[in-house]
Amino acid sequence: MNLSARMIVVLTAVGLISGSLMAVVGMLTKDRIALNRQQEIEAAILEVVPGTDTSEELFTEKNFTIYGGKNRDGNLIGYAVYTSGTGFQDIISLMFGTDPNITKINALSILEQKETPGLGAKITDKELFLRFWDNKNAGSALSLRKPAVRSQDELAANEVNTITGATISSDKVLSIVNQSLEKLKQIKQAGKLISEDNDAE
Amino acid sequence: MPSKSVGAEYIKGLWEENPVFRQLLGMCPILAVTNAVINGIAMGLATYFVLILSSVVVSSIKKLIPSQVRIASYIVIIATFVTIADRFMAAFFPPISKSLGPYIPLIVVNCIILGRQEAFSSKNSVGRSLVDALGMSTGFILALLVLSSIREILGMGTFLGHQVMGAWFKPWIIMILPAGAFITLGILLAVALVIESETKKRKN
Repeated sequence: MNLSARMIVVLTAVGLISGSLMAVVGMLTKDRIALNRQQEIEAAILEVVPGTDTSEELFTEKNFTIYGGKNRDGNLIGYAVYTSGTGFQDIISLMFGTDPNITKINALSILEQKETPGLGAKITDKELFLRFWDNKNAGSALSLRKPAVRSQDELAANEVNTITGATISSDKVLSIVNQSLEKLKQIKQAGKLISEDNDAE
Repeated sequence: MPSKSVGAEYIKGLWEENPVFRQLLGMCPILAVTNAVINGIAMGLATYFVLILSSVVVSSIKKLIPSQVRIASYIVIIATFVTIADRFMAAFFPPISKSLGPYIPLIVVNCIILGRQEAFSSKNSVGRSLVDALGMSTGFILALLVLSSIREILGMGTFLGHQVMGAWFKPWIIMILPAGAFITLGILLAVALVIESETKKRKN
């Protein structure tokens, strides 16, 4: 075999073998990866709509999904909004939950973030940041309390705490939540939150 | 060509030819993922897996590959194992896979791996290449461990997520930021050079 033929044969063979190997590995791990993701979302729904027994997707568009959380008796006990937006460094994906009338925010959970380690990354910290989002008034837009306070009692009903040293990250999270909250209300008002139970497609 | 004993072939990767401290290879992962010990370990193990399998495969098919297309073939082989490692982590260790982000796929371009294929596996037997890969990846893991331990302990006061520093300790946030990576690596390289020159002096 001359040289160019040999080069072609070798490269083709290497490519074919490696391609098929990757295809096999991809098939074997695909379901598991999808399952991980689903479990992660379910865990987050449970966190932001406590008491959820089953949840279903009520509305979805790019980077914005609304889940309805139902209790054991099948009654709607809240909405969980899964969305993402720009943070200080990269995209922040988060989920927050409201009651069925969207009057209050139950809790906030950060699913994905690449904020500065040690500073902005504290948005995932329960003690420093997330706990200040529990049971907030969702009637109007939320605002940020600066400088940070130590206890929940010092905050107004629609105020959330800043992280000292990471005001931008705190602010980005706030604006993602405020925008999505507004969107959630509009969608609900437009009657687009359709449950599969009473509107089978 | 092989003149070294099998043991020496392994040991050389740990210190004498340590990929990080002596050869200054694989700087990108060393700087990027060492902000926590767990990330360092995960990166080390993924590299371990990729380097060993690539070395074995390359050294066993080295005679079949025409030298003009050797780099292309090596990269395809390495990329295959990296993809396998990446998918495996995403499937079974999702939190680690998330915190390492793009750095697992980037093992493909880690110079340690391609460098060992070109410098060693393409010229040596399968057995020797395996030993070489074992030594080199252990050396790499050691470097990752040292660097990530220093950075996590000083930067967050924790080791593998457990608090090790007392309440008096104020974390040096700079240590887990990129600047801390450069500072720590620089100091460690200086220490490595001092040790090296001291041992040389003593030998002479």
